[in-house]
Amino acid sequence: MKHIIMSMLLIGSVYAYEKGDIISDNMAAHIGCNGEKVYVVDFFASWCGSCKKELPLISKANKNIDKSQVEIIGIDVDKNIQKGLAFQESLKADGKLNFRIINDPQNLIISEFAPIGMPTLYYIKNKTVVGVITGAVDDIDEQILQDIKKVK
Amino acid sequence: MKSTSLLILIVVLFSGCVKDVKPWEKETLAKNTMKESGINPIKKQFEEHIYFSKEASKGGSGVSGGGCGCN
Repeated sequence: MKHIIMSMLLIGSVYAYEKGDIISDNMAAHIGCNGEKVYVVDFFASWCGSCKKELPLISKANKNIDKSQVEIIGIDVDKNIQKGLAFQESLKADGKLNFRIINDPQNLIISEFAPIGMPTLYYIKNKTVVGVITGAVDDIDEQILQDIKKVK
Repeated sequence: MKSTSLLILIVVLFSGCVKDVKPWEKETLAKNTMKESGINPIKKQFEEHIYFSKEASKGGSGVSGGGCGCN
């Protein structure tokens, strides 16, 4: 009886990527983080207030990184792709979005990473998660530049 | 045995009603209309102002966070 109850509790639990985890080959190829660089993968959505605040700062950090060694990738998890694209365009028009974006309307990518909150930012090197930042950080641009130095 | 089977049946039947809302599924919860004050934050501020004046106290209401699931 005890085993049955435990099994039921475990059904549906999601395994989230954490520091030290290796991401699947399929996912690495899908989001294009299977090269030699350090990849900074940021999950955001148009409805997430903290994400809106962070995106211009991440773009600011993107101007100051060595593109041959580091790439920032944004994953837009808006289920309404038109809304997501409009949000991205408005940011681009203001010069507040200058990195590659992958749209994830089916939430397939974020379901595999399964972060515990939004926004969440992953540092990936050699398909391995080498750092995770969950939640909003006031000076995320400086934080990214510092973290990149550590993980390079 | 019958009670155990019944318990399992109940758990299985009702498990469909307790799906977790994942952080990336909180679009609806993040809307202004889902806030206690509704779409007009001034209304809530006004009500709180009256309450604090009457009770001679302040704070202790609401929660932090913007509904994005980051707190």
